[in-house]
Amino acid sequence: MIGDDVRIVVVAVDRDTVKLGIEAPRTIPVHRSEVYEEIQRTNRAAAGEPATAPAEGAKVPEGAKIADLGGKGRRPPAK
Amino acid sequence: MSVTETMVDTTDREITAELPRFGTCTYRESEVLTFPWGLPGFGTLRRFIALNLEGQEKFVWLQSLDDHSVALPTADPWQIFAEYAPHLPPYALSTLDLRDPEDFATLCVVVVSPGAAEMTMNLLAPIVVNLKTRQARQITLETGGYSVRTPIPRKAPAATAGA
Repeated sequence: MIGDDVRIVVVAVDRDTVKLGIEAPRTIPVHRSEVYEEIQRTNRAAAGEPATAPAEGAKVPEGAKIADLGGKGRRPPAK
Repeated sequence: MSVTETMVDTTDREITAELPRFGTCTYRESEVLTFPWGLPGFGTLRRFIALNLEGQEKFVWLQSLDDHSVALPTADPWQIFAEYAPHLPPYALSTLDLRDPEDFATLCVVVVSPGAAEMTMNLLAPIVVNLKTRQARQITLETGGYSVRTPIPRKAPAATAGA
């Protein structure tokens, strides 16, 4: 058990592999660490190098304004 | 950090920040998005603003307020992948207190390769924002078989706006 409500169970034992299952309440996300690490890497790649100043020769874009997220990224109604 | 900030008061103050990527930017306290669970890869950063750049309306930049050197581009996934059908796991709905589809916006992280030769979108882990509470969380989908780096077709609408 991990805490009061997360349970690790051995699902199957084969010759040289052990299959583990994790039982957790539906409010707790359970993911393989490889997946999480890949998301971390992708986020860092998206951000690129930390920007301390505009890149040499690059001009700072004018007119950065707060994005209106209302209606943005909303699933279109099902057909 | 060059934010002109005083102790939080009850009014919705305007704050001006000098951002290394985007120059001078003004926002209100009520426009700040918080990521109470963090954003994978950016450990302690919690407060972000969503920015649009002129001429690049398809992109929404998530600019960290805790570390001005961090900003990452995202976009509305349905602009590019009309068939995208993420099924949010129950923990996402409960922790973000999402009840009504009108309450939330979905943004997917975009990776632009060096030289902007290729762009990919993270459809596996959309960022879901509760527009009422301004809380956001990047959610890993458990179904659908989506990829963290789904290539964006060159002719897609967003592909014309370089980052």
